[in-house]
Parts: sequence; C-alpha cells; structure tokens
Amino acid sequence: MQIPIKQVNLSTQMSEAVSEIESSIKRSDQWSKLLIDVGMNRSKESFAKLFKHFAPLIKSFAQSSKHEGWFPGLNEDLVQEVMIKVWQKAEGFNPEKASATTWIYTVARNCRIDMLRRKSNTQHLPLENEDYWHEPDEETPASLFQQKRSESKLQVSLSKLPKEQNEILRKVYLEGKSHAETSAELGLPLGTVKSRVRLALQKMQVLVPSEYQEND
Amino acid sequence: MNNKPSHCPSADLLVEFAAGTLGTAESICVSTHLHFCPHCKGTLHRLEQIGSHFMEKNCEAVTKKSTDKLNAAEDESLFESVMEKIDAASTDTPAKRASVKGEFPPLVNKLIAATYNKLNWRRLSKSVDVAALKTGQNKFEVALHRICAGGKTPKHDHRGLEYTVVLKGSFSDEKSVYKEGDFILRQPGDTHQPMGAQNGECICLSAQSAPIKLQSFFGSMLNSWLRIRPN
Repeated sequence: MQIPIKQVNLSTQMSEAVSEIESSIKRSDQWSKLLIDVGMNRSKESFAKLFKHFAPLIKSFAQSSKHEGWFPGLNEDLVQEVMIKVWQKAEGFNPEKASATTWIYTVARNCRIDMLRRKSNTQHLPLENEDYWHEPDEETPASLFQQKRSESKLQVSLSKLPKEQNEILRKVYLEGKSHAETSAELGLPLGTVKSRVRLALQKMQVLVPSEYQEND
Repeated sequence: MNNKPSHCPSADLLVEFAAGTLGTAESICVSTHLHFCPHCKGTLHRLEQIGSHFMEKNCEAVTKKSTDKLNAAEDESLFESVMEKIDAASTDTPAKRASVKGEFPPLVNKLIAATYNKLNWRRLSKSVDVAALKTGQNKFEVALHRICAGGKTPKHDHRGLEYTVVLKGSFSDEKSVYKEGDFILRQPGDTHQPMGAQNGECICLSAQSAPIKLQSFFGSMLNSWLRIRPN
C-alpha cells in the first residue's frame, strides 16, 4: 500500500518538518562515520571529534540524574567511563542498527546504572548491566536510510508532544525516576502517569512495528 | 511466526526498562522476555532512540543557560585523562565477557552459574519444584519453577507482584495458555491455578515481591515453605 506523495501541496509546516528531518539525518551521519572510523581504524583524531561533541552531552545527562546517591562528583567520572567504553566497544557499532547518538546513549545509560549499583551494593552482583541488553534483532528490518528516517521522525514527533507527556518521559529518561516515583512527586495517580506514557508512545507510533508505520 | 510470544510486558514497563529505572528483578524478567520477542526488541530500540533525543535536547538546554558547562580547559584535561587510561589499557588484551553455556537465555544461564553452578531444586508440591536464584537484590525472590507434565499447582493468591516468563514448555490457567517467552504479571489479589501442559514439563522464571498464599487446607501447610527468601 503506497500512499502517493503529494509534492505539490506540501504545507509550510510539512516542508519544515521534512527539512528538519533531512538536516538531522546529515548530522547523525557525521557522528556515525566518526564512530566507524574509531572502530575500524582506531583513529584518535575521530575519537577526539566525538569526544568534543559527546562529552558535554554525557555530562549534562549525568547532571540531570536525580538518583538517590548520585552527586556532582560523579558527573565527570561518568564522562570518562562512557568515553573509554566508546573507544573499547566502537568496533561493535553497526550504523544500520542504530545511530551513533542512540548507541552512545545506551552506553551512558548502562554506565550510569552500573556506577549506582556499584556504589549502593556491597554484595557481589552476578550480572553487569550489559548482560540485560540484546543486540537489535537480525529480523528487525530497515535499511540504513529507513532507520535514520524513522529516528528523525521520532525526534520531530517528540518535539510536538504535549508538555505533560513530555515532562513524564523526561523524568524517566533523564532524572532516572520510576513511574511510581514520578507519580509521588507530581501528586498524580500512578494510573495517570502510565496512561500519559502510553499516549505519548501512541502519538509517536513507538508501539507499532516500523514496517507498518504510516508514510507521511 | 507462531513461536513468537503473545503475552508481552506493558509499554510503561518497557519504557522504564529502556530508561534504566526498572529494578533488578523486574529487569531480569523483561530482559528474558526480550530474548524471545523480536516485536518488543523493536519497541525497545525506538524507546532507546527517545532516550538519546532527550540526552541531546537536554544538553542544548543546559548549554544555553548553565555556567557549569564544560569549558575548553576542563574539556581538554578530561580528554587527556581519558586518552591516558585508554593507552594504559590498550597494552592489556581486551577482556572478553565470558558467556555461560546452558539451555536457557544467556542472562538466566549466568544467574544459574552465579548461584550454584547447578540448580538446587526443592519440592514445593507434588507437581512443582522450585530453585532459588541469587540476584544481589532483596526486593524480590527470583527463582525457577518447574511444573511436571500435566501437573496441577495448588490454587494460590498473590499478596505481592509476581512476574513470570516461560522458559521452556507451556502452562495454562483459567485465562489463557502461556508458551515459551510469554511474560505474565500478576497483581496482588489475583488468584489462579496454573497447570502444566500434558506434553512435557514447563520451566518458568519468576520474581515474587511477597510470598504467595495457598488456598486449600493442604496448601496452607505448604505456606511455611513459601516464605520469601531473598538473596
């Protein structure tokens, strides 16, 4: 089922969204190329460029943590730990599965949890955080282009979410708050928090397999 | 196609998992389900993309107003210290993460190996055996349950939450049939009576936040066996 492309009647809003998508694809290409260069050629020059872009991102991600036991002294530790992992694991990066930014986000997320677990646990932990995560499935379709396009579309639809839905996602992803903690903090019933999450995901078509997503 | 799980975790659980805010025991169950479920893996990937956008957007917002952004000098010294550590480590051979062999998803195999090296089954009832797993947390009791072919489990109540993932075989209760990879969440107050499939034993991974309560007289004697034993 191909929906005909209406090239003539593009509203300004639509063409803005399209150009936004295109420029974000270009940006994400740049980081992926550098990351591949680090993985294949151990290029320190490319690594320095990645560092310059991602170190502030990781630092602000660390700063936004509201986890119990997190303190500012850990922010730079996280930057170091994540960037060292990026260097070590770059070979495993596959641009067809994820953009460099998403890949580095998952490394940062895992390092942040591991640092917290190591701090709060005296007993031996049988699992490292990495054990919980799987490689994206071979069956996951998507060419490089499709992957980038769907990622950029997600970004655009995320920027259009209503404030109250955005706020809850922000709390879970950046502050590290569970839905129960969010509900206590905002004085909302847990059911409301969960239904806002679900509404947001529906709006962004996150729950629909990408091969069935509407072509707009 | 038919082998894909049909009972999956709710969207909000997957979000918490993707953001890394889900507890250890719950994460173990979600991760085990993902091993079997390409559909949820796809969803997870999109949820991670959302995380990366928040990371990017947040940085833009912080850089605009904050005085605490990395300044050039700090940036430089941090970079140098990272490069020193990388150079120091590169003389060592990179540590490969050992994968543990076994019949279950890798994460479960690793838990089994960390616990006993061999499962220590104990009898719970005529048709159910249980083997506790060490997970380094104490909010949930994580264990494997084995129901023999055609075995009936005692009817029981849940006083807390119970997460179950079918690892092998299948079982059914009043509501549905659960096959390999299926993810089931029982709420406090739910009562059910699972039954093992006729064609073979069923093994499940479970995480219980409080002991379950058996309903029959015989069951009430068994309750003393079911006391939660976090480890």
